[in-house]
Amino acid sequence: MPPERGLASSILSLDDVCKRFGETPALDHVCLAVHRGETVAVVGPSGSGKTTLLRCINFLIPYDSGRIYVNGSLIGYREHGGRLVRDSEHNVNAARKRIGMVFQRFNLFPHRTVLGNLLEGPVYVLKISREQARKRAMTALDLVGLTDKVNAYPDQLSGGQQQRVAIARALCMEPELMLFDEVTSALDPELVTEVLSVMRRLAQEGMTMVVVTHEMSFARDVADRVVFMEQGRVIAEQPAREFFERPMTPRIATFLSRLSAR
Amino acid sequence: MPGLVSSYLPMYLAGSLIGIWITLISMMMSIGIGLLGALGRLSKGGLVRSVVAAYVAVFRGIPPLVLLYVVYFGLPTWAQDLGIRPLADFLAPLNNRIFAAVIAFGINSGAYSTEYIRAAIQSIHVEQMEAAQSLGMSYWLAMRRIILPQAARVAFPPLGNEFITVLKGTSLASVIGVTELMRDAQLAAAATFQNLAAYSLAAIFYVVMVVILQSIVSFVERRLTLVHTTSPS
Repeated sequence: MPPERGLASSILSLDDVCKRFGETPALDHVCLAVHRGETVAVVGPSGSGKTTLLRCINFLIPYDSGRIYVNGSLIGYREHGGRLVRDSEHNVNAARKRIGMVFQRFNLFPHRTVLGNLLEGPVYVLKISREQARKRAMTALDLVGLTDKVNAYPDQLSGGQQQRVAIARALCMEPELMLFDEVTSALDPELVTEVLSVMRRLAQEGMTMVVVTHEMSFARDVADRVVFMEQGRVIAEQPAREFFERPMTPRIATFLSRLSAR
Repeated sequence: MPGLVSSYLPMYLAGSLIGIWITLISMMMSIGIGLLGALGRLSKGGLVRSVVAAYVAVFRGIPPLVLLYVVYFGLPTWAQDLGIRPLADFLAPLNNRIFAAVIAFGINSGAYSTEYIRAAIQSIHVEQMEAAQSLGMSYWLAMRRIILPQAARVAFPPLGNEFITVLKGTSLASVIGVTELMRDAQLAAAATFQNLAAYSLAAIFYVVMVVILQSIVSFVERRLTLVHTTSPS
């Protein structure tokens, strides 16, 4: 096991993380700490590195330098004589079990029913009994309000329902941390609310969440903190209320006014 | 014609069954090769990828008839002449006409199956792999549980067509003396001198088999897409 690092109370910490795609820096010396039970909204113009940030946390994208710790363990690498060595696939997978991720385009498994989608991880990755997994699935479906759709196929559901199933699928792994990647961006406006209210409920129940979003009202009402990114850098990091009431820079003020003008 | 039909019908039926039998075994081999080939082609290992690419290039290029000659007439005698006992023993089963035909058609068709299955796997969106991996699945578990079941539906129609191609191709096995449908037709023609009738009857048999196969393929295909579409959600 890697040594415990980061702030004792922080479940996620990023320390000087960099990621480049060719010449373009997608993450430029990013530092961030998220505490247990906290909801952090990550906002900023498109192409600012928000999605890359999330994907580096569960190592769908390997970062180039810096350190990412989830609950004290280094993600994706091992320290070897002060240098980072790529970790085994096995260890990366083990870390991913504890990190739930919800995608912009849902990414449900179309060949499985809702229940099948929810059993896949617990049964084949966590290797808990089918019976237990089923109970978890029903609890999760209850939370997202879709117990009646347990035997439906993803294509028979609306976008909002699919996204709620995707949230339930992540919850079935009982993650320590949930990542949301613009989860309402692919939805029709009238379906956004049902997904946001599920997320609001999760936040109230004490789930630790990192939410990349363009929904400013959600960021203001639900998030504890807001992180503003631009060109791969964290420009501002403030308690949510302050972020909206007293923007730290003129740039942020412009960004916010443009969004609210929509 | 009626006389020929009534006296040769049982023989034609038996020949058809041998053709179907050869096709079934060849296709099982072909799909096995295709699955391994596709996974190899998509793997990270550069050597494995090149070996598979070479296999596909070579065996798609060789006409099945030529391959059949090489496998049946060429390999066993070659091994005999070399005088390497284990190799000769290993290749001895190829002296069996049906076995030789199965190997030749299987290897030939495997090159096509590799490409069909590879294309099917690649048609499943990368996001499906990412979603599986975000649940902590390993690459192979995600392949087995998430990607391959979806790819199978995509690969089914071209593999169904491949089955039909191989079935028609079994007529080539007549040249190495396998008593399948085409060989029976040759025998009937030689015995009765009714060339047109003998070969037309064989043609009708092939058409009927292909039509039946085609409808089975379409039926299964419909069933596969009935529950949900294969589009990435």
